[in-house]
Amino acid sequence: MGKYMYRDPEPKKITLDEWSMQFRNIDNKTIKKFIYYNNHDWGIYLQPPATFMLYGARELKRLRLDNSLAALRMWGFVFNESERLFRARQSCKKVIATMGDLGTISIIVMAFPNCVPFYPECIWWTPFFNESTVLLDMASELGAPEAACFSRAALAAFFKKAYFPKADYIFASTGATCDDYSCIMQSIEHLGYDFMWLEVPLRRSPARHDTMNSYVTTKNGSRYPRRFEEYLIHDYIRVWEKMVELTGIDDMDLLTASITKANRVRNLVEKIKRATNQATIAPFPALELMTIEFGNLYGYADMDEWIRILEMIHDTIESRVQEKKGVMTEDAIPIAWVNPTADPYLLNYVEDLGLRVVETEYVINQAIVGIDEQMEPFRALAQSFMQASLIGSTAQRISSINKAMRKGRIEGILITNMLGGSHCAMETKLMERLLKDKPVLAIDVPAPFGITEQIKTRLQAFAEVLHEQRK
Amino acid sequence: MNKGNSKREILTPRERFGLLVIDEKPDRCNIIPLVTSHAAYVAKMPLKRYYTHGKSMAQAQIAALEEYQYDALGFFSEVGIIAEAMGSEFEYPDDDLPVIKTPVLTKQRLANINIPDPRHDKRLPIYLEAIEYAYATIGDKVPILAYVPAPFTTGMMLSDPNKFLIQTIKQPGTIFEILEISLKVTIEFCYHIINAGGLPIIVDPLASSSVISPRAYKTFALPYEQKLIDFLHRYDLDIILHICGETEPILDLLPDTGADLISLDKVDISLALDRLSNKMRIVGNFSTSAIAFSSPNEIRKKVREMVKKGMLSSKGYIASTGCEVPIRTPIENVKAFINATKEVAWY
Amino acid sequence: MELIGYTCPYIPVEILSATGFRPYCLLHGDYDLMQHGTQYARIDACPLVRANIAYVIENKSNFAALVGTTGCDMSRRMFDILGEHTRIPCYLMHQPRTYNQKIHDDEIDYLIDSLSHLSKRNIMDALTHEIDKWEATRNVFRKYDRARHGEPSTVSSSDFQKAATHYYKGELDTIPDIAKKLSNKPRVYLVGSEVSYESREFLELLEVDLRIVGDFVCGISTFLNISIAERTLSGIKNAYHNQPPCIYRRPNKAFYEHIVKQIAERKCIGVIAFTLDYCDAYEFELKKMENTFGLPLLRIRNDYSSQKTSQLKTRIAAFGEMLCS
Repeated sequence: MGKYMYRDPEPKKITLDEWSMQFRNIDNKTIKKFIYYNNHDWGIYLQPPATFMLYGARELKRLRLDNSLAALRMWGFVFNESERLFRARQSCKKVIATMGDLGTISIIVMAFPNCVPFYPECIWWTPFFNESTVLLDMASELGAPEAACFSRAALAAFFKKAYFPKADYIFASTGATCDDYSCIMQSIEHLGYDFMWLEVPLRRSPARHDTMNSYVTTKNGSRYPRRFEEYLIHDYIRVWEKMVELTGIDDMDLLTASITKANRVRNLVEKIKRATNQATIAPFPALELMTIEFGNLYGYADMDEWIRILEMIHDTIESRVQEKKGVMTEDAIPIAWVNPTADPYLLNYVEDLGLRVVETEYVINQAIVGIDEQMEPFRALAQSFMQASLIGSTAQRISSINKAMRKGRIEGILITNMLGGSHCAMETKLMERLLKDKPVLAIDVPAPFGITEQIKTRLQAFAEVLHEQRK
Repeated sequence: MNKGNSKREILTPRERFGLLVIDEKPDRCNIIPLVTSHAAYVAKMPLKRYYTHGKSMAQAQIAALEEYQYDALGFFSEVGIIAEAMGSEFEYPDDDLPVIKTPVLTKQRLANINIPDPRHDKRLPIYLEAIEYAYATIGDKVPILAYVPAPFTTGMMLSDPNKFLIQTIKQPGTIFEILEISLKVTIEFCYHIINAGGLPIIVDPLASSSVISPRAYKTFALPYEQKLIDFLHRYDLDIILHICGETEPILDLLPDTGADLISLDKVDISLALDRLSNKMRIVGNFSTSAIAFSSPNEIRKKVREMVKKGMLSSKGYIASTGCEVPIRTPIENVKAFINATKEVAWY
Repeated sequence: MELIGYTCPYIPVEILSATGFRPYCLLHGDYDLMQHGTQYARIDACPLVRANIAYVIENKSNFAALVGTTGCDMSRRMFDILGEHTRIPCYLMHQPRTYNQKIHDDEIDYLIDSLSHLSKRNIMDALTHEIDKWEATRNVFRKYDRARHGEPSTVSSSDFQKAATHYYKGELDTIPDIAKKLSNKPRVYLVGSEVSYESREFLELLEVDLRIVGDFVCGISTFLNISIAERTLSGIKNAYHNQPPCIYRRPNKAFYEHIVKQIAERKCIGVIAFTLDYCDAYEFELKKMENTFGLPLLRIRNDYSSQKTSQLKTRIAAFGEMLCS
């Protein structure tokens, strides 16, 4: 039965109706066991997908989710995030929007007691989960072009103030990264919000004449000028000082502790990924795994509870791997997935075609890599950030996929883009060229409701090619 | 979405309702008059078609929403819907709502009563079809509410009402048996409503003080409202309990039901605010006869007064009618209600 | 002479020129080049970037080096593509989006160091001469600009742009005189995405019914914002960093302040906002521009092609009529 007094059924992905049925077997004691912010009044989050569907997440009617208690807990927690941010404000926590850096500034914010960072860009999934263009339509009214990243939903969310509370402060990172979000952030500032802008430097490899001493080499072999760390540190200190001003607390030991906690999350996710990718049968679905990866950014506004959830997921996956059980058949074809998909349905659909996602590049490498705890904290953060996905060259970005390809661990690559996304428009053809040893399919994720038969046909054809390749 | 109101509405009804249920103040208070069968009148649809055809019910509701621009769709025809599925016979007049003809327990024993399948039996699937259709059509912007009779009201519709009331004194055991089975069926119905995309609203008109004593309410109706709401709270849903009729004698008991919002009818709103507003969100409570028979100007004046008071509720407020908007209420009267509310409802 | 291609007005042409190579701004917008460029970048990549990728690949033997910045994400990623398809040495500078002059200055030092190695010249020795040369050229254009925004305007922006092409291509010895063309047409300010070398027709079309008396458009007169007061490296750094900021600067308040000032000084009665397809920088700001400038604003979106020219003519004429009334 395990420590949660509930036995998971045989692993599979199930529908919303099936989850409602299964939820009836979960007793009230278990439901009340899992809470966030230590609050028993409103902090309960273990609900079936039907709850969130009823409150607007319409795509849950056609998604299939993992049937473990761990997955249910994760989904309840993730879908509850909007409420959690409002509850954070109601319980006098400071709610700080950290934008554009995807995973580093949040660690500084989390160092301060009762401060909750969040990434408004993660609201880009909301139009798809809701099967609704409400946010995107409002973003258009506010001036965002349609051929831009779906994270433009964040602009609408800031305007409406119905998806998260008004932030106590906003840190916005811009620079050698995606322009769409830089423009979205500027549009948000035009709404009248108080911002601190931070610089995202380029990760530039040395030219032949450069002496190696002036460059730092990262764990994955990338190099960048050492002075770029100094630029980042300069900005991190500004962030720290602002947080000190907001909270009245100035204790660097807290930053060390926050880094340790962030590493705990990253290590757990690394273990989860390794266990999942090396298993002969996929123990956990790709949609859940993408959601797990993005938790590295900020723990969905409660890092402590997120760690507990990850531990439970890890236990579940370990047990499935040991029992050689999973959610796909053993002959599922391993592929790599580049760029997170805004529409979660695609992850379900691709798995239904017998393709198993074992390698990912979800533009958040900076939130995946470990942070050196032996180093001065700001420098350690800078060094981890300098491994960010989008700040270097395309070739660097896909190096892990190239490696997986050479080792024979993947048999195809799927790239999901958005029309008008700045890095999508420029990277895709180059990636196709650099990854040409395996079949590569690049598709544009359309707006909500937009997955057409044409897109499905292309995915089916891709899957057929991979299946044929095996024969 | 801005008829008759100079302020720009930025939020969708769904966003507005979502803020209310997490104890946040939206841009203005939610406006959810009980437009149920009146929707058929607005849509110029025969009543019988409305309550016997799911898609038509949904289309009528959507037409009413578009006409009036309030903040939720509410599905309801009459309180006998579960009792009917359990075996009570109803007549379907062409131009009026179903009327009970033969309560099932007048011809059958409780042990032999049908436990209906909401997907197949009688008009329960019509409800579900209506909810699913509305959810698919407009559910991203508008909350979909489904009014579900509570076990006590259903219990009374399974029986001869006089006999039922006497049994509450002389044979309470039998009443509890009836209520238990009603609860079981209601839970099952709510389960399917939720899966369809509807938020169950519990209605218990036959539990009001217009019908039973406060003691009978406390003994029989309240525990089963509680149990039903406990079940719904497993889903972390914020539950509205609607008891139309007199409720002043039982006001202090209402928080014990566990309901998060209380929809009131014949009670002074100031009194309700005084006794309840720090425990429950208040819904209501414009007089249904006033909305049907007063002039638009009179309605506007009274609504403004009511809403201004209601917005003082510390836990939150939904401007509504005390009970269902009568079927043939003049459209301009309902518009007067909505527009007057929107004039004063901004936080 | 071999060329040193560059993309951004934050790159000091004086330093490029000091290498002995000819600075050549990548401002091509030819339709065929754009189509060819689609082999390397998607159709939703900036038309300017696609055209310039194709231009460089077709003419790679002419280029000694390429210099770019992170000022625009698509433009910066062009260098990844060019690095893969050519052997041209590429130098990518981090152009700060925030007002961090230290980064900018350090990157100029990096550029000098890199180009010195490439050209095997001591760039510092040639700097003073280059500053004088380029500043003198800019002064010539400043004279034309004064005529352009004079009352009445006697130089058209289309003619200005044609002459400025020589500046951008580093052909300082062949800059033609600009003939006077007096105009009393409605005075407008042009702001937006880059115009290309092939944009003359487009500008002429605009000036049938209007007179563009000022602009903040790369490819026309933004180079005039560089004014090097001190003939030293420090002078170059200050002049380039402190020029009126690109719309990508964060926050972009100073951009708006500059434009509003220019509009007032040049007595404009209308604004034209020109955006290239997929140019987020300007597309996102159109609403803000409408609200900020307080003047009638004509939005034009284009991919440099000649499609929809007749539609454009009608819109421009209507805009002109509105301004006249």
